[in-house]
This record gives sequence, structure tokens and C-alpha cells, in this order.
Amino acid sequence: MSNKFSIVLRKELREAFRDRRALGVLLMIVIIYPLMLWVALHKIIDMAVKGEHENVALVVIGASQVPTLVSLLEQKNIKISARDDMSEPDVTDMLRRREVVAVIKVGSKFTDNYNAMRPARIELWFDSATDQQSKLHRVEAVLHNYNAVIASSRLLAHGVSPVALTPIQLQSYDTATNASRSVQFLGALLGIFFAASFFFCLNTAMDTTAGERERRSLEILLAQPIHSFELIMGKWLATATLAIIGLMLELTVAHLILKFMPLEEIGMSWRMGWPMLFGMMLCAVPLCLFAAAFEIALAMNARTFKEAQTMMSFAVLLPMMPTIIVPMLDLNTSTWMYVVPVLANQTLLLEVAKGQVVGILPYVLTIGSSLLAALLSIGFAAWRLRSEKYVLGV
Amino acid sequence: MIKVDDVRKKFGNIQALAGVSFVTSDGKTTALLGPNGAGKTTLLRLLVGLLQRDQGAISIDGLDPATDPIAARRSIGFLTDQFGLYDRLTTREHLVYFGELNGMNRQSIARGIDEVVALLAMEDILDRRAKGFSQGQRIKVALARTLLHKPRHLLLDEPSRGLDVMSTRALRRTLGALRAEGACIIMATHVMQEVTHLCDDVIVIAKGQTVAQGSPADICERTGIASLEDAFVSLVGTDEGIA
Repeated sequence: MSNKFSIVLRKELREAFRDRRALGVLLMIVIIYPLMLWVALHKIIDMAVKGEHENVALVVIGASQVPTLVSLLEQKNIKISARDDMSEPDVTDMLRRREVVAVIKVGSKFTDNYNAMRPARIELWFDSATDQQSKLHRVEAVLHNYNAVIASSRLLAHGVSPVALTPIQLQSYDTATNASRSVQFLGALLGIFFAASFFFCLNTAMDTTAGERERRSLEILLAQPIHSFELIMGKWLATATLAIIGLMLELTVAHLILKFMPLEEIGMSWRMGWPMLFGMMLCAVPLCLFAAAFEIALAMNARTFKEAQTMMSFAVLLPMMPTIIVPMLDLNTSTWMYVVPVLANQTLLLEVAKGQVVGILPYVLTIGSSLLAALLSIGFAAWRLRSEKYVLGV
Repeated sequence: MIKVDDVRKKFGNIQALAGVSFVTSDGKTTALLGPNGAGKTTLLRLLVGLLQRDQGAISIDGLDPATDPIAARRSIGFLTDQFGLYDRLTTREHLVYFGELNGMNRQSIARGIDEVVALLAMEDILDRRAKGFSQGQRIKVALARTLLHKPRHLLLDEPSRGLDVMSTRALRRTLGALRAEGACIIMATHVMQEVTHLCDDVIVIAKGQTVAQGSPADICERTGIASLEDAFVSLVGTDEGIA
């Protein structure tokens, strides 16, 4: 008798897979989120790659006074065009239009000051709003090198070792690995993937509760020899199935994108393998159960599909909040994060992708918290379905 | 057989049923006749176990829907005026669903479908999806799913509301056939025509109480009024809510 829920489950699944609108939305989300990820990464990689190989162009005013600098610049593949003079508005304009990365102005007093060993001024004009940081750094590097070369040769000419210029030797160590750097960046994006489970099953959750009420078919169903909890369980599992299918497809597509993109170009890597990914998907099954239960418990209170849609468009934001707020707070990963449903899955994925050794506790908490939330939600729904007030309004 | 003894039901401050008692027998069609708001729908819901009564006793072939609703429902077919079909399922899939819910196995469902299709002349819509069905086709599907598990008791809530002539005749034919087979049919209605043409027995209900029970002829005799409609009005004390 207790497997009557499977009768409901089969019928609800059959109906759900014939719902072209719901399936369309599911496919769209499966494709759109990973696509956004691909576009964002592609743009960044593109900029990084171009930045290294693209030519840097400069305008130098008064180039005749600094032949050494000019040759240093040209050695670094920086194109120089010499000009006699330019007014400030002209310079601003030229920089804004990104015709050149920077303008170097060597004043008329330069040669005199230089020969008298006084600080000889060179002006570097650039526009920081045009976002050409890496190119600008190359120019600045040459300028600093120019300064160092002149200083060393002057000291040497006076019989002082140029080592006097560098009393402190700075050694930098970056403890971030490629993997950890990428994960910080990909973090918020990946969190959205798990939150999408709430969207995959939304249509089905509403159709199977508010839709039944609108069609006036719920009363007849309740008059059949089936317990109300068997009824709600069949609907719940059918709804969750859609979320599971959607999430698995989406994570697979995202994984493929991350695997086959040239992430090394931006110093990142995605080292998660298929077995680990499958493990993540399994951990997300309780989350899908929770998403389905949560939406059913809410949507069943609406009398029509449209009313449910309005209600749910606000309600679905709630489980997504932690995944948006917490990354913004920039906290360290700690145990409490594994107790909040969507956030737990996101955190777990990130930690595993970073290559961290994650004990058994995070897995247990991730699965347990979603499962508990799911059971509470569906318990409420089952109780509500039996209550007299609900039956009267059916 | 359905026995109802002094059943009461209150919703907040409203006394929906204030002491309803009657007995309906197998092989008879009994009308539950009353004006709007008399408590007919509430009573039917109590019989199916959708609501719990405050007081009184209900027995459906010896089973109490309050203590064992699942068992009681097995012998009941419930038809409301809202047909509630699933647009994406075919007629056959509807029937299989409800057959399975009622505990029928695959062969009995197949046999049941054959019988019900013959009874209601549904061959043309059997494998069509319910989207776009006419009203008459809808009631055929609704009737079919109600009758599939051959319930001993049929509870109909305002069944011919919104039906055209053809569908009403089909309904009448079906009910006649079932009555002949020994089913116990209760029809909640406030349509006089239905009562005089279809029913052997009438239970008059007003303001949540049974006012009279008997065949249409008995009612007329008792009140000394020739037309059932006038007899009913005099019993109930108001002509509000009669079709």
C-alpha cells in the first residue's frame, strides 16, 4: 500500500516531460549559466593573451634629447612616434581615444639639468580610465630601467659600486597556487549554478500544486483511496527529479567548459576530475530535494498558476541570498557555511576544486542540512494538505 | 448501503449540518434535494472522508470514513461538477491513473476500460490528449474514471450542471445501468427535473437538517401538493435557490 506514491510519481513525471514550456526553460538555464561563464572567462583570457603580444605605441615629445631612452623603448618592441609639441587638450584627447598608451614629454630644460646632474624631469602622461594597465606597466618598467642604468653608470664613473643603490634585496613569494587563485574568482559564478536548482523545478512545483487547484482536480484526487502524504510524496519526488536532471546537465556543461578553456593563459587551472564532479552532483541531490519541497510547500497555497508565479518569484530569492552575500563578505571558509543549504554545496565545490583535503564532516553537513530542510518542508506540505482549511479551499 | 445518523458539522460560527439522518439502499437512486447552502456538498465530503464530522455516525457498508477513509473510499465513486482533467494526458492515461490509485491491477484496468468505453461510447477520444475536449467529452472522461473501479456507491455533486442535452442523456443512461446492477447512488442536486426523472428516493435537506425522506410520490402525498417543486418549497419554507 505504501508504494502508491510511485503511481503518482510516474504520472507526474509523464506529465512534466510533456510540458514543453517547462522543458524549454530547463534547457535554457542549462545552457545559459555555463554560457555566461564561458563568455566571462573568454573575455578575460582574450585580454590577457592580447596584452602580452600586442604592440604598445607611444608618442615622445622632445625625443632628440633622450636617444638612449628611445632605443631602450624600441628594444622592448614599443613603437615610438616623435612629435614636436602637443597641447594638453590634444594629449588628453589622444589618450582617451586610445591611439597611444602614453605620451612622454621631455621638457626643453631636460638636457641642461641632465648635464648638470640635477634631477631631469620627464613627464609621463596616461589615462587610467582606458584600462591598459599591463601595457602601461611595460612602459613604466622601461623608464625605471632607464633611470637605473643612468644612475649605475654615474656611480661607476665616480668609482662607487652600483650595488650601493640596492641595499635591500626584496624576494617575493606568492603562496597562492594556480588553482586557489582561480577558485576565488570563479567562486561567485559557481554558486549561481547550485542556486539554479530552484529554477529547474519551479514550473513543475507550481503546476503540480497550484495548477491542480486551478484545474479543480485536487478534490477528486483527495477523494481517492490514497493517503495525502503518498500524494504529496509522489509530487515531491517528481519535482525533485527535474531539478536533479537540470543540475546534472548544467554542472556537466560547466565542467566541460572549464576543462577545455585555456585557463593557463590567466594563471588559473580547473583540476577537478569526473569522479569528483560526480561526487559533487550526488551531494547536490539533497539540495534538489529541498528545492522541490520548499517550492511545493509554498506554491500549494496559491489558488492559480499565476498567483503561484508571483509568489514564487519573490520566494526563490531567499535560498539564493547566502550565495550572493557571503562571497561579498570575503570570509574564510568555516564550518557554519556547510550548514546553509545552497551555500554548503558552493563552498564544498570550491574547497574541493582548490585541491584542499576536505574531511568527512563537510560532506555530512552539506547532505544533512539540505535533507533536513527538505523533510521539514515536505512535512509541512503534507500536514497542510490534510488540514480542513486547505481542503475547503481546494 | 449508506447510513447517516444525526451528523453535525460546524465551521467556525456557521452550523453547516445540524443533525442529518437518512438511509440509502442499494439499487436505488436517491436525491439529496435542498436549496443553496443547505449543506449538500459538506455532507458528501463527510461521506468521502475529506472532512471530519463533529458528531453523529456514518456507515458506508459498515465502514466509517472518519476512522478508515481509505477502505471506505474503495467502494465509493465521487463525481463533482468540476471535471479537472489533465490536458497533457490521454483519456486512457487518466483511466489507468485512477484505476491504479484505486488498487486495480493491470488486467482489471484493461477490462474496466473496455467496459466503460463501451458504456459511454468513448472510442474516439480514448487515445487523445484531454486538451481541447468539449464539455460533453470531459464529462465522459470524468464519469469513466469514477466508474472504472466499479464502486458500490456513487456520490454525485450537481452532476448535470453545465451539461448539454446529449451529455445529460448519456449520464442518465449510465446511471440507469448502474442502478440496475445494484449500485447505491446519491445525487446532490437542486434541479427538480433531475429528481422527478431519475430518482427513486428523495431526501429533503434545508439549513443543515433533514426535513423529509421518501419517494417523489410520498413527498407529494405527505404535503398534499401535486407538484414536487411546490411540495419541496412548502417543506423548506423558501423558494430561494431552486432551479
